[in-house]
Amino acid sequence: MTIIICPMPIRLLSSEVASQIAAGEVVERPASVVKELLENALDAGAKNLTISIADAGRALVEVADDGLGIHAAEMELAISRHATSKLVQSDDLFHISTLGFRGEALASIGSVSRMTMTSRVESAREGARLKVEGGMAGKVEKTGAPVGTVVRVEDLFYNVPARLKFLKSDVTERRAIDSLVTRYALAYPNVRFKLTEGKQVSLQTSGDGDRRAILAALYGVEAAKQMLEVMAEEEGLSLSGFISPTSLTRSNRKEITFFINGRWVQDSALNAALMQAYHTLLMVGRYPLTALFLTISPEDVDVNVHPTKAEVRFRQQDKVFSFVQRSTRKALLAYTPVPSVSPQLWGSHPLPVERREVGIDWSMAAEAGEQLSVNSDQSSVGSREAMVESGQSIGNRQSEIVNPSFASVPLLRLIGQIGATYLVAEGPDGLYLIDQHAAHERVLFEKLMAQHDSKIIPSQALLTPAVVTLPPQSAKTLTSQLPFLNHFGFEVEEFGANTFQVRAMPVLFTGGEPEAALRALVEDFEEDEAPLQAEVEARLAARVCKRLAVKAGQVLSNEEQRALLSDLEACQSPRTCPHGRPTMIHLSVDMLERQFGRRGAR
Amino acid sequence: MKVTVLQENLARGLSIVSRAVSPRSTLPVLSNILIATDEGRLRLSATNLELGITCWIAARIDEDGSTTVPARTFGDLINALPSDQVQLTLDVKSQSLHVKGGTSNNDIKCIDAQEFPPLPVPEMEGAIQLNVVDFKEMIQQVAFAASTDEARPVLMGVLLSVDKDKVTMAAADGFRLSVRKALLSNPAQQPLSVIIPARALNELARVSTDGEEAIYMVVPKNRGQVLFRVKDVEVVSQLIDGTFPDYQQIIPRSYKSRTLVSTASLLKACKQAEIFAREGSNVARLDIKQSKGEMQPGEVEISATSEETGKNETIVEATVDGGSVLIAFNVKFLREALEVIRTPNVALETSAANAPGVVRPVGDDNFLHVIMPMHLG
Repeated sequence: MTIIICPMPIRLLSSEVASQIAAGEVVERPASVVKELLENALDAGAKNLTISIADAGRALVEVADDGLGIHAAEMELAISRHATSKLVQSDDLFHISTLGFRGEALASIGSVSRMTMTSRVESAREGARLKVEGGMAGKVEKTGAPVGTVVRVEDLFYNVPARLKFLKSDVTERRAIDSLVTRYALAYPNVRFKLTEGKQVSLQTSGDGDRRAILAALYGVEAAKQMLEVMAEEEGLSLSGFISPTSLTRSNRKEITFFINGRWVQDSALNAALMQAYHTLLMVGRYPLTALFLTISPEDVDVNVHPTKAEVRFRQQDKVFSFVQRSTRKALLAYTPVPSVSPQLWGSHPLPVERREVGIDWSMAAEAGEQLSVNSDQSSVGSREAMVESGQSIGNRQSEIVNPSFASVPLLRLIGQIGATYLVAEGPDGLYLIDQHAAHERVLFEKLMAQHDSKIIPSQALLTPAVVTLPPQSAKTLTSQLPFLNHFGFEVEEFGANTFQVRAMPVLFTGGEPEAALRALVEDFEEDEAPLQAEVEARLAARVCKRLAVKAGQVLSNEEQRALLSDLEACQSPRTCPHGRPTMIHLSVDMLERQFGRRGAR
Repeated sequence: MKVTVLQENLARGLSIVSRAVSPRSTLPVLSNILIATDEGRLRLSATNLELGITCWIAARIDEDGSTTVPARTFGDLINALPSDQVQLTLDVKSQSLHVKGGTSNNDIKCIDAQEFPPLPVPEMEGAIQLNVVDFKEMIQQVAFAASTDEARPVLMGVLLSVDKDKVTMAAADGFRLSVRKALLSNPAQQPLSVIIPARALNELARVSTDGEEAIYMVVPKNRGQVLFRVKDVEVVSQLIDGTFPDYQQIIPRSYKSRTLVSTASLLKACKQAEIFAREGSNVARLDIKQSKGEMQPGEVEISATSEETGKNETIVEATVDGGSVLIAFNVKFLREALEVIRTPNVALETSAANAPGVVRPVGDDNFLHVIMPMHLG
């Protein structure tokens, strides 16, 4: 049978389709509409910005500013593609000082929504209004309006159902808008921002230039107080903003924020520079919270890389990288306390008022010590891995560490125990060396986890309810999950804006703080992980390792060895212990033959 | 310095002060014990900057002086010497202490006493006088409930408040609260309320032996510390800065069900339940049942289950006033509270499965213990 391909004639796309395709690059989700409109407003020199959202931005996004405004005569041009006031010739592209320049935002938004734009410039007596529906512009009407521009975007993606389908849940979309607006508020502390969702005001800044106050809205008051200020300047580069001390971390990179010349960017090189500044100070898998503002001469940075301008290119990448790394590291170390013994208690001086601060220093010093030890641990692991790697490269599969993704273990015939630490077994494809401690850990861990799955987490009531204030985004996540919290052993009630009252917490955390426990839970929710699973696992793993599993150096009888092997075969992921180390090493027949020179040269 | 002391006196003194030695410190002098001649006696002091203990022992002093000796070396050595006279001679130039006991001759390297943190010299005027036996019991009944979690420093201490002739101690760790009251023989001149680290109080209870007349307590103004003196021992501790939670609000004003039970039987039942409960989350259920008929006693059924090891059920006879209640507690908390109750019978006051339980000794209004319940989903 032959497949006949019907030749289709090549055509120019209709302007409608073309604009929708182009819009797809700029307008991905409600938050991108907010971003484009915000940037326009900021470029227009607005001092007051009011953003209103309804139905997570699907039904309505309205951005009102008191900026320059648009002349009635230019309205129609403004909404057409490649129309902008920010750029004249191509050379201008290389020293862009405005946020926008592509002249696409309004056209793109207009093509996928019902958009109304109302604007008045100061010199005009009356304002003008223009409606665009699915890319089709109406007539410019005269209307009364204050100076500035109001862009009202309704029914976003009403004509692109596919896009609509790909939107995430309301909570996620709202969170994206919230975090976007808050970050811009942080970047422009002199502009007054107000974000309302329905009737609820979720962010309001005073516009008095106080960044720390906005920081509090973003991360919560406690965290904002702890944030360290960065201030550095060097050869046309300047970096300001805030970074978190080593004691304040998150389990993801979401809270790392960079602004370059007032534009929010996601740049992996900058992130890497930042992480290098924190190198050896943070535990593995922990990330700092930062809001850093880099100012660089417009000629040295190319923002015309990506339609949403989230990515940038630097002329001298290395210079910027090293500048960011050095200045954040410096700020971090300047604040990192040096442990010193102060025999203040025994002297005759009265108790200083700042005693609480001393306390913090002490605890941070202790933490730093802990982290150091963790790191040294890690480096030993690293060196072992390096050894393994080098072994592999020399002997080309000399000792192959079994890939954990191959779930099951083959049938094994026990040969014996060596060094009272390892079991030796034969499989269909060669020799297996099994670490008895790691293997037993895995067996016990799976057994205990299975028992745990069926159980509800018991909860312990608190003597006095603890009041916990969370950052607005986390608070929203938690509010949406409130009804299910009982299941995890929490008893939590709302207690005012972004504040919660914890009456009971799961036994897993007793001895810890209710606040830390609640934060751990929210982080799990935010990352869509099984809530508290990590805590449960960590606790079991520690217990198994310390108390229950056979240790290296323990002689096992033949029956014990055999039982361990068969138990391991029954495990779901038998190839690693709960801490992630391998339980077994495989020496294949093929490799043995090569080693003995039976099959060609080594 | 040239001093002669009895081995047993020195050994006792060292065992008292050595608890304040900080075993691992970046300041080497804190691992040492200060020995100094002091008005015809020998003074031994140790401190970890949070807690300091000083003890005076009888000695024959031939030459005044002072130095600091490594606590472990010196303590172990003195304990191993025959119970006879011990001669201590310091060579000031080399800071080397010659210790001679029986036929044993030792030289210990010391650190100059100048480096030792200066200890406060207290004004004992206006000191509050406490009865040793009472005070030790108070500490025992309260200090265990204090938290060990460094995140909430205030809860790591015991609130001690004095008002006229009443003294009250309270400690809580977020899940339980212990309160003990007592009367002073001499009313205090002014009211006082301080938070003392639980550890310092435990050390105080350890060093003050029964039969001694009194403990004197002073809180010097604006120093942030408290000082206790018992006979020839002084304990100084840093106070914890902060506000202790208003514990009066936590104590339930009423109850629905009051269960009278033998302290020893309930304690035994708790210990049995704990064997199983400790495998999981320490949860033990108390099923408090009213008597079924006129002549039949009520009962409390204590049970604990472990997924791994099995389960336990113990029935204890009880007099139950009010309704039946099913409630769960952390059995470790319950056991620890019962262990410090001296009366033969104890009352457990409960209202509901999610309301706090109160443990009171029957016939003694001075002590009470509040435990928050647990629930299983």
